[in-house]
Amino acid sequence: MSAIKKKGKMLNATNKLKNEMGRHFLAIEQAYRDGTPTAWATAGTPVEFLYTMDVQPMLPENSATISAALKKSQNFIELAETEGFSYDLCSYFKTNVGAVLSNANMSVGGTRKPTFMLSSDVICDTHVSWFQVQAERFNVPHFTIDVPHIVSNTTNRQREYFKKYIIEQLWELLDFIAELTGHEYNPEKGREVALNSYELGKIWQDVFELRKNIPCPVSTRDTFGGLFPLFTMTGLESPIKLYKHMYREAKQRVENGIGALENEEYRLMFEGIPFWYNLKFFSNLERWNAIIVYEPYVYAFTKYTNPNITKEMVINNPVESMAELVLSFWYIYDLETRVKMFKETVKDWKIDGVLLHDNLSCRPNACGMYDLKRKLMEEADIPSLVITSDMNDPRKMNETQVLNQIESFIEILRERKKS
Amino acid sequence: MFGDPTLDINTANEHIPPNHCIWAKNLLEQAIKGFDDDFKGIIATHGCDCTNREFDIWLECVNLEFFYFLNAPLKRNEAALKFFIDDIKELIIQLEDKFNVTITPAKISEAIRLMNKIRNLLRQISDYRSNLQIKGSDFHSLVKSVQKMDKGKALEMLKSKIDELKSHNLQSINKLKKILLTGSVIDDTEFIVFLENLGFHIIIDDLCIGTKYFWHNVDEAEEPVKALAKYHLSKPIYSTKFPSYKRFEIIKDLARQFNVDGVINIAQKFCEPILYDHPYFSKKFKELGIPYLFVEMEYNRESYKQLTTRFEAFKEII
Repeated sequence: MSAIKKKGKMLNATNKLKNEMGRHFLAIEQAYRDGTPTAWATAGTPVEFLYTMDVQPMLPENSATISAALKKSQNFIELAETEGFSYDLCSYFKTNVGAVLSNANMSVGGTRKPTFMLSSDVICDTHVSWFQVQAERFNVPHFTIDVPHIVSNTTNRQREYFKKYIIEQLWELLDFIAELTGHEYNPEKGREVALNSYELGKIWQDVFELRKNIPCPVSTRDTFGGLFPLFTMTGLESPIKLYKHMYREAKQRVENGIGALENEEYRLMFEGIPFWYNLKFFSNLERWNAIIVYEPYVYAFTKYTNPNITKEMVINNPVESMAELVLSFWYIYDLETRVKMFKETVKDWKIDGVLLHDNLSCRPNACGMYDLKRKLMEEADIPSLVITSDMNDPRKMNETQVLNQIESFIEILRERKKS
Repeated sequence: MFGDPTLDINTANEHIPPNHCIWAKNLLEQAIKGFDDDFKGIIATHGCDCTNREFDIWLECVNLEFFYFLNAPLKRNEAALKFFIDDIKELIIQLEDKFNVTITPAKISEAIRLMNKIRNLLRQISDYRSNLQIKGSDFHSLVKSVQKMDKGKALEMLKSKIDELKSHNLQSINKLKKILLTGSVIDDTEFIVFLENLGFHIIIDDLCIGTKYFWHNVDEAEEPVKALAKYHLSKPIYSTKFPSYKRFEIIKDLARQFNVDGVINIAQKFCEPILYDHPYFSKKFKELGIPYLFVEMEYNRESYKQLTTRFEAFKEII
């Protein structure tokens, strides 16, 4: 680690993210004051339908990341473990259990008792188990969306009845919410929310498109934080403005040949959820003139990655489109598609190396990672490195070891550049 | 497929991280090494996050002719039933295409009738287990054999077993502590023998190689594919399905019905579904005053011995 420490540039617009987050938390406070229904939702669920039905969403995963960023997650996790939850279980889940047990404030990752909970197994079964645990403890209703698992040999014929099953459940969800809250589904509002969601996702994708440029105008300083509205506020108008601002600023950088990192040398991809308690790890890469230019995890939540789903379809048939989108979610790609998408991304974003986070808390994401690495190296000649750690549990990161691994990895990239 | 707790895991570690389900990893190791049996293919069902994702690895590195991932639904309602029927029908289509066979409704009905006869006999034998006329380990071994063998032969074997058991009386079992065993897949009969040697009798269970295999029958009057789908969605719920907390009600009722001395819940290492349910079970059994032991264990026989003290201590308190 002899290199001189570099200072990367964050977009000015990203500073306004705090305002957006504040807006979200204020909306939650307001909902409790007004008696508006609230719901916990897991990542990957259609939060848009909550907004359509005038239900205020809260995402405990995002709250857990706040706990980690504020160095509070370990205490919450250990508290959950004293309740009998294993050391090996998801650290988001345990952060949430501990935060609730501690009556933690929203500003440090607490999440209040909701009217109901909405989960899905689209990303992991943990989401369903997690909300089962908490719904029982809070004694609130819990609706879950079962998303059939797509594997490498799933056929188009199968996808059709998979989609039918999801559509039926989405209508059941709307009925469930209507029964619980007395709010009826308003198709007009459904279209409006769907359009906002689409716009938000697409602008974020445009920002990613700009990252193809050398030097890359946007770093993880903007993306990991900027991700927040994609989870919690998709369907609202206000975050669109923020993303448009980010886009404009990034475009200006491209036009002026300015990168987020001075002297960009190595362009990297980071797969998996970041270490929220140690985001400085990503800034540390700058010591070696290395920058992350693509994060599949972040891109996944733009949601509108299926080219067959057009804007018109999203607006005119929000439920049917959502079913298709849920099935084509980047984060859950089967191994064959995952490898194909990685190879394409590496080429399009001119990536020199891939960092793969073997996340001890996220087995679905980590599963297949070794094969992914091997295929990237053997079939696409792309150096790839697996880092074993955890997204929210600092006890599971050995920083020195990881940095040593990175240093050696950069050395390999350096040698390749020479030849 | 069953695991092999005597197997050294080598190649599977090149595909699966160390903190993933050890049982599933064991199966992959066997598959990569190649099967002795005349396996043509595999039908994997939606289980936990690990097993679901590993299916793609199987496709990559296991040499078989046929692979199908059966999306056994997470939920149990009309929509799930319709979906499950579609997925079973798709399985039939793919089997027919691959092996150039015809799977008619009449053939499925015939198989249903045969399996129902087997289930009836297994329930009778399970009663013998509860009446202390057959050891838990012998019963476990029997169910496992039935799952593996030709079902016509299995039926004959079970008939003879019943004749044998009618006059059987194992007084020695009476001295053992009566246990309900639940948890992850427990497919090593040696583990049951190990528990018996420590002074436990598995009087009843909530296991796949156990009551879940013969809990009730498939409706023979119903259209066969629909009947099969309904059967699977009305079995006692698994820890991998929603809401898994309902398992507690089933286990509690069994514990009372069989007047057990205690409940043992086994989690194979990194078995998330069982790990999530455990604190709830622990709390509920405590409220009911039913002794409950939760044990996480490795999938190899050497590790059983390390658990001796915990089981002995449990035996002391019940």
